[in-house]
Amino acid sequence: MSRIAYVIRDCGIRHVITNDMKLDQADLLAEDTGELACLIGATEREGMTCFSWDDVYVAATDAAPDIELTEQDLAYILYTSGSTGTPKGIMHTHRSGLSFAIWAAETYGLTPDDRVSNHAPLHFDLSTFDFFATAVAAATTVIIPEAITKFPASLSKLMQDEKLTVWYSVPFALMQLMERGGMDKRDLSAFRWILFAGEVFPTKHLRNLLAALPNVRFSNLYGPTETNVCTYYHVDSLPEDSDEPIPIGKPCANLESLIVDADDKPVAPGAAGELLMRGGVVMYGYWGRPDLNERGFYRRPVFGGHFSDRFYRTGDLVERLPDGNLKYLGRKDRQIKTRGYRVELDEVEVALLSHEDVDEAAVFPVPDGQGSNLIAAAVTPKEGTAVTPETLINHVAARLPSYAVPANVRVYEVFPRTSTGKINRRELQAQAIAESET
Amino acid sequence: MDRENILLGYIKDELLRGRKGDLKAVDDLLSNGIIDSLGILQMVAFIEERFNIQVPDEDVVFENFQSVKALSDYLAQY
Repeated sequence: MSRIAYVIRDCGIRHVITNDMKLDQADLLAEDTGELACLIGATEREGMTCFSWDDVYVAATDAAPDIELTEQDLAYILYTSGSTGTPKGIMHTHRSGLSFAIWAAETYGLTPDDRVSNHAPLHFDLSTFDFFATAVAAATTVIIPEAITKFPASLSKLMQDEKLTVWYSVPFALMQLMERGGMDKRDLSAFRWILFAGEVFPTKHLRNLLAALPNVRFSNLYGPTETNVCTYYHVDSLPEDSDEPIPIGKPCANLESLIVDADDKPVAPGAAGELLMRGGVVMYGYWGRPDLNERGFYRRPVFGGHFSDRFYRTGDLVERLPDGNLKYLGRKDRQIKTRGYRVELDEVEVALLSHEDVDEAAVFPVPDGQGSNLIAAAVTPKEGTAVTPETLINHVAARLPSYAVPANVRVYEVFPRTSTGKINRRELQAQAIAESET
Repeated sequence: MDRENILLGYIKDELLRGRKGDLKAVDDLLSNGIIDSLGILQMVAFIEERFNIQVPDEDVVFENFQSVKALSDYLAQY
């Protein structure tokens, strides 16, 4: 809740869409932020304007709203993990959102007959495909209730009963479906495309999925939230004798990519460097964060230096393969993916350090054996105090979204150190991995 | 102890680890973030170990895990 309150204060949200079952949360948020003015979907709350869903349906008209907007105007802000301990708001315009939606609707040939899954929650940028690309094509979005997403067997039944034609999720969800969903007993013949993004799909599992659904096409989409999606790779076949990860592919239409070294100089062909992206899908900027906007972009001087082209720095290291496809190599910083969610490890450390009895904290990923990571943490208590893992997990859970909460916390008396005296995170991580494997 | 209380105790001690005070058999486990997909797998493993019941994958569905009551009703067939 404190994170939601932070977001409300940070970008000045005044209207909240909710329902009567969540009114007690709305009360807490209203006290915490003092800025909320209007609840949509709530029947009544003292001191605030409320519109029930009945009011909303009665007031709805088919007429377009009378507003002046250009495609360069702000359309939405998505908050994501920030390394300093507070989330950062990624601002997308109508242009940047639509650039992706129109490209995706064309590339995957969406038509009004398509029935597209919405598996990702609304605050996760995968949902922009489910809602915007689907709307562009006048296709149907099938919203999957959150509770169903936790049960592979329920999910495969929904896929069948709803006659889904296009699927989009993180690889983890598809791997769970393969493992426990009983897909072989379902009629999934309506499927045309299965799209995935957010993390690397382990090749051996992807090969099984291709074999299970031979009449379906598969596509790997890549892009930080700041760029919606910026590269794609259609997986038509996989070699039998190699589990080499699939590439992230080539830039989408209307995009220019650069691969640069630490001095922003293009690397030699085939060499590794940071991926920069310019074009329609790139965000407007970070909300209220001039520091991040300065660092987050590379400005390439053009036309005698009087103008510049603005490239987003993805922070992802890539190399270009001889066939032109990009291969993902890793991160420049301490950002990780856990089950498709992006988490800055530093943000989790800041949350742990905010507990009064914690002296030092280290947070690191531990492979979950399913192609993704769980988050593990280690702390040392302040002298004369004692902390339990339970207390700390609750402390973090009150500050961060559930996917960023460490799966376990180990309490040390002293941390192992590197030769330069820093916390030896590598050693702590190795100990946590060894423990998870037993 | 009957299965219902054993399951309640397991969820409170192992999955919630003290995060929520009171948990009743009829409480919705899924919509309030009480258990996530990992928690469901842990519960299936616990049921196997504690009650010696193998829950087949096709029965690990929303309807059977919505609450402790639903789960013990489902397990009653074994």
